[in-house]
Amino acid sequence: MTAADDSGSGGWSDSESRQDADSAGTVGRDRLRADRVGPESSADTAVAVEGLSKRFGSGPDATTAVDGVSLTVDRGAIVGLLGPNGAGKTTLVKSILGMVLPDEGTVRIDGIDARERPRAAYSRVDALLEGARNDYWRLTVRENLRYFATVSGVDPDSVAARHDRLLDRLDLSDHADVAVRDLSRGMKQKVSLASVLAGGADVVFLDEPTLGLDVESARTLQTELRRLAADEGLTVVLSSHNMDVVETVCDRVVIMSDGRIVADDAVDALLGGDDTHEVHVASADFDPPLLDDLRERLDLTVVPLEEGARIEATVDSDGLYALMAQLRTEDVTLDRVRTVEPDLEDVFVDVTAEGPQR
Amino acid sequence: MSTEGLDDGVVPRRASYAQLAKQVLYREYLIFVRYPANAVGGIVIALFFFGVLFYGGEMVAGRALTDSLAGIIVGYFLWTLSVGAYSSISNDIGSEVQWGTLERHVMTPFGFAPVALCKGAAKVVRTFLTSALILAVMLALTDTTLQVPVVTVVVIAGFSIVSVLGLGFAAGGITVLYKQVGNWLNLLQFGFVVLISAPVFELGWTRLLPLAHGSALLQRAMIDGTRLWEFAPADLALLVGVAVGYLAFGYVVFQYATRRARRLGVLGDY
Repeated sequence: MTAADDSGSGGWSDSESRQDADSAGTVGRDRLRADRVGPESSADTAVAVEGLSKRFGSGPDATTAVDGVSLTVDRGAIVGLLGPNGAGKTTLVKSILGMVLPDEGTVRIDGIDARERPRAAYSRVDALLEGARNDYWRLTVRENLRYFATVSGVDPDSVAARHDRLLDRLDLSDHADVAVRDLSRGMKQKVSLASVLAGGADVVFLDEPTLGLDVESARTLQTELRRLAADEGLTVVLSSHNMDVVETVCDRVVIMSDGRIVADDAVDALLGGDDTHEVHVASADFDPPLLDDLRERLDLTVVPLEEGARIEATVDSDGLYALMAQLRTEDVTLDRVRTVEPDLEDVFVDVTAEGPQR
Repeated sequence: MSTEGLDDGVVPRRASYAQLAKQVLYREYLIFVRYPANAVGGIVIALFFFGVLFYGGEMVAGRALTDSLAGIIVGYFLWTLSVGAYSSISNDIGSEVQWGTLERHVMTPFGFAPVALCKGAAKVVRTFLTSALILAVMLALTDTTLQVPVVTVVVIAGFSIVSVLGLGFAAGGITVLYKQVGNWLNLLQFGFVVLISAPVFELGWTRLLPLAHGSALLQRAMIDGTRLWEFAPADLALLVGVAVGYLAFGYVVFQYATRRARRLGVLGDY
């Protein structure tokens, strides 16, 4: 009997087994994807969440951790999940993974309803939820990979070559037979990621995957995540407080606050893809009448300097051209011009303060 | 770094339950040999308690203890087995939470309960080995001779502690749900002494309790030399029935408790 054949409590039905395992007992991804498309998702949707809510407690003490969240994650996408502490990120991720049973809503993984067929739904999903301690430190790197591949429902011998390549890519080959406890923190983190990928999961949830890594190790891991998504179609949902990592790695960002999604957009769009620019212009030639004139036409902040002033304006492209034209007409000598690129942290602070969906 | 695809066109095969059992057993072996202090410590503590029991009892009871020594050794052997089986699942869950690996066992396509049972069974195998060592030292220490028909002892002791494994399964589930209660549940293992020495001949119904009937059969096997095929079929059927019954009970409690823990959102919170 294989993992796919089991039909125990909460397990797979016979029809489920027939659907998900071919006669050779192999895991055929493309065929599974074609079979698994559900009504709420397209063939390119890896994760589909619809109206998910979770409350803890009852009566006046009840807390709504997740409040009617809906989102989809496309196959091969890397989606960042951000939010302040208590925003509901962990509850949402655990609800998607089946570790928390939601009160309302549905979760589909590869088109499979996770509540109706949990084992089938999670057969291609893995997660790194606890930072570095996601594997057995007394076991070697390779022993961890073989063990967790098996627990993920995959014959470890059939993925031995995958493990070799995975270790190679993550620069762990020389340490394959070393106990994890004897590795540096950065390497432990990479072993955690390797063990999550050991079973060939299509969808992985990563919580603070670069926590504690040095700059070089963090870059290696980020590069590898992007490559796995691009080359292998790996779908990643990444939760982190490190905005730089999210900005660098993710295609899209979902921001949560008070149990709701308050922003869900491509990273570029969140960072100002709406054609707005913040420019800072300093000049000794700014006089009060000119500044008054500019204030009337622009959303402007004036910072007095020892000589002259600095104006800080948020304008679109046309506004920027107009501003520069006016400064030229007024014969203003530009001492310093700086374009301020918003980073994800700015967006995060703005969005979580505002609340409504972007 | 390699630039080729990870799978390189190779399609992974599904793992069977046999492969899961093999990997779980192998992991148990690796953890056992790589945490030598834990392994040796457990054996030393068990022998220390037996030493206190034996030498203390000898001082107090003298010959009366010596006359019943064989029974005490068999009972103590079964008790060490039972303690290992009972605490295997709840202790394992506690360790997995500490190591941050519990969630990965919850998400497995094999199902959490079957994997937990598999891991509990692996620990029972380990406990058999350590208890066999403890038995050998006890016999040497007391200069006592017992019959150890291996097949008979393994089968009877095995089924006896399956019933305790069922209780441990239930305790593991309750531990997932109510973390603090788990420590108190561990105290129940001292109640196994009562079960092992239950008066099954005087009170027949006690045979339905975990360990009681198995303990009586084990005494007959190791003291009287009764072989497995020499027991009455009804005795063996009762042994198997009690084992399966308590295991099924534990499995149901575990499933219910873990489901409730998921509903309350406390799975993995320690």
